[in-house]
Amino acid sequence: MELLGLDVLFKGSNAMRLLQGLGIAVEISIISVVISLILGMLFGIFMTWKNPVAKVISRIYLEIVRIMPQLVLLFIVFFGATRALNINISAELSSIIVFSFWGVGEMGDLVRGSLESIPKHQYESAAALGMTKGQIYYHIVIPQAVRRLIPMSINLVTRMIKTTSLILMIGVVEVMKVGQQIIEANRMASPNAVFGIYGIILLLYFLVCWPISMLARHLEKKWSN
Amino acid sequence: MANEGVLRIEKLRKSFGDNVVIDGLDLTVQPGEVVVVIGPSGCGKSTLLRCINGLEEIQGGRILLDDQEVDGRSKDIARIRQKLGMVFQSYDLFPHKTIIENVTLSPIVVQKRPKSEVIAEGEALLQRVGLLDKRDDYPRQLSGGQKQRVAIARALAMKPEIMLLDEITAALDPEMVHEVLDVILDLAREGKTMIIVTHEMSFARAVADRVIFLEGGHIVEEGIPEQFFTNPSTDRARAFLRTFEFDAVRSHVPKLQENDAASA
Amino acid sequence: MKKKLLGIAAVAAALALAAFVLVGCGSSSSSAASSSASGSGSAESSAASSGASASGVFRTLDEIKASGKIVIGVFSDKHPFGYVDEGGEYAGYDVELANRLAKDLGVEVEFVSTEAANRVEYLETGKVDVILANFTVTDERAQKVDFCDAYMNVALGVVSHNDKVIKSLDEIGDGEVIVITGTTAETYLTENNPEIKLKKFETYANAKTAFENKEGVAWANDNTEVIAFANAAEGYTVGIEELGSLDTIAPAVSKGNTTLRDWINEDMEKLGAEKFFHAAYEKTLMDVYGADYEETLVVEPSK
Repeated sequence: MELLGLDVLFKGSNAMRLLQGLGIAVEISIISVVISLILGMLFGIFMTWKNPVAKVISRIYLEIVRIMPQLVLLFIVFFGATRALNINISAELSSIIVFSFWGVGEMGDLVRGSLESIPKHQYESAAALGMTKGQIYYHIVIPQAVRRLIPMSINLVTRMIKTTSLILMIGVVEVMKVGQQIIEANRMASPNAVFGIYGIILLLYFLVCWPISMLARHLEKKWSN
Repeated sequence: MANEGVLRIEKLRKSFGDNVVIDGLDLTVQPGEVVVVIGPSGCGKSTLLRCINGLEEIQGGRILLDDQEVDGRSKDIARIRQKLGMVFQSYDLFPHKTIIENVTLSPIVVQKRPKSEVIAEGEALLQRVGLLDKRDDYPRQLSGGQKQRVAIARALAMKPEIMLLDEITAALDPEMVHEVLDVILDLAREGKTMIIVTHEMSFARAVADRVIFLEGGHIVEEGIPEQFFTNPSTDRARAFLRTFEFDAVRSHVPKLQENDAASA
Repeated sequence: MKKKLLGIAAVAAALALAAFVLVGCGSSSSSAASSSASGSGSAESSAASSGASASGVFRTLDEIKASGKIVIGVFSDKHPFGYVDEGGEYAGYDVELANRLAKDLGVEVEFVSTEAANRVEYLETGKVDVILANFTVTDERAQKVDFCDAYMNVALGVVSHNDKVIKSLDEIGDGEVIVITGTTAETYLTENNPEIKLKKFETYANAKTAFENKEGVAWANDNTEVIAFANAAEGYTVGIEELGSLDTIAPAVSKGNTTLRDWINEDMEKLGAEKFFHAAYEKTLMDVYGADYEETLVVEPSK
């Protein structure tokens, strides 16, 4: 206990604060993930359009998402929007905007990939059965695309959760920041707390991401039929 | 209606860019007729079936089913396609649906028929193709021949007026060809209208009311199977049929085996 | 069919969850604002109104008073200047002043957790009214923000082992001096004493371990850091307490926010007269730095 500095965890409300910090990280990632899944699906369909304008727009969007570090995006939305447009966006909302911006782009590309991986024959045999375009997407294409999508999108979701540690840079006190606060407040008294607290944070991230991976594995197994 | 169940193709023209695949083709198929289309690869046989089903845009002429025009771009196409049951070479069952779901999906969502009735019919169709025991399996658990039989059942579930079969045994291992073709022979016996593209000459001969030999986008020759296969009137058809035969390069004197003789 | 229903239910649930969380998020940040430390970046709730202010970026003294709340950016992980205690409350030397300013102004205080790298940014965008985060006055920063009167001194310090205490840079000779990459100490020694060999470490923890293992004859860092280290462990002495230019630490407000700056200066002079900063030192810094350094570090503002 002393060796790992875990004693600081039981001082005051430290443990509770860590969990609250985790709650904020999870909350922001859940909202962003839900937005990314829904809008990413639409964006992915948009990306498969043959329209050249649609292609250019999605290309540019995707490049921005890929090139811009998330931290830069956070600063642009949180500080930049105030500077340039005099719009004040809260730190949480800024985080959700940036994470969704990132997630919709990446998810869209995954959706595009999985839509394009559905063989042309699936569309044709559904069409030959008299299905309309909408029915083909709803009954045939999207269910299959979703199944192909699961492993890759779970990877994106867990990456998002881990990347929430960046939002402390715009003042959101999430689990990582709480951890730093606890470590620094006890730097003299429990210098080893750095190991213990970061270890706990590691464990917390694991506990959040693990069930998601399990769910993914379960779905994969179920759908492998 | 005078032309109930009649498929009429008039001056059909289909090209991919500069490459003309079907060039002014006329064909009428009567209800209950089984038409087999044969010809060298690239002669346009598969394209013809795809045009009939509106999967390909056509560049000229028209296709009429029950006096209604089949046009891949029209809003009506989904409704017209319900009258045309198409089975592809690569069968393409829906991998995320069970066998019974594959068969009943379209009647339920497209034709909006009562579910219990559709399922009962679907089961009867599976029974007919010998696969009722696979009812709740997924396509990947089936062999190629079994999948193709399900695909046939799936097309039949729509109660189509005409079945379009596009080289349905070409992707199958030889030992599975028969089980699939038996199903088709059975349908022919029942009087189902069918247009069949195939490379199986003995099957073509057995099933067809009329054989059409297609080459270069034209109908080069057509006739009843006995005449076509034994005595084709064109050189091209003769040359084509010859590609299915091999001349012996070694000679053997048949030796009667004793036990064969005994058992005979 | 069952599956389809399940799918629809899942989508509906996801949407409902999103809506629920969005609503919950809004309320949680406002409640966090009142509960101080556990709150997140809640500056927007009050500072957001700055957008409408006639002055543009920042809120004037009157606007702050009218809103009933002052937003102050502090460190939340720099013990003992600005940190969060185990009860979840902000505390430290900087926080003492922040709380007192709010009290004298008659408003509530709302803390925003800032990082060293974004302090200027917070003021330039008016997302906080004041930065009280161990903010060293430099010419470069003074171009972008307005500093108030200083309330603390800061300089570089050099700590060495008791068996060979180094009292001036001349005594280092061939020995290596430990520094942490990116600190003022590294910059200062590289520029002014290039002849001194530096042993660089990325983190405080590594530098500390290396120094304890005598991998260098001395360790140069902010004097507050080396004093704190020497006081916490046996066998070390800060031989050089003030090296290079003497810097000061002061509150800062957005550039041009004179009404707020003038009021803070006026109030700090009053506080200086009542020796508020000595009291704050004794409350927050004494444990770490001891009584010996009180006069070195503390500044009581006066006219």
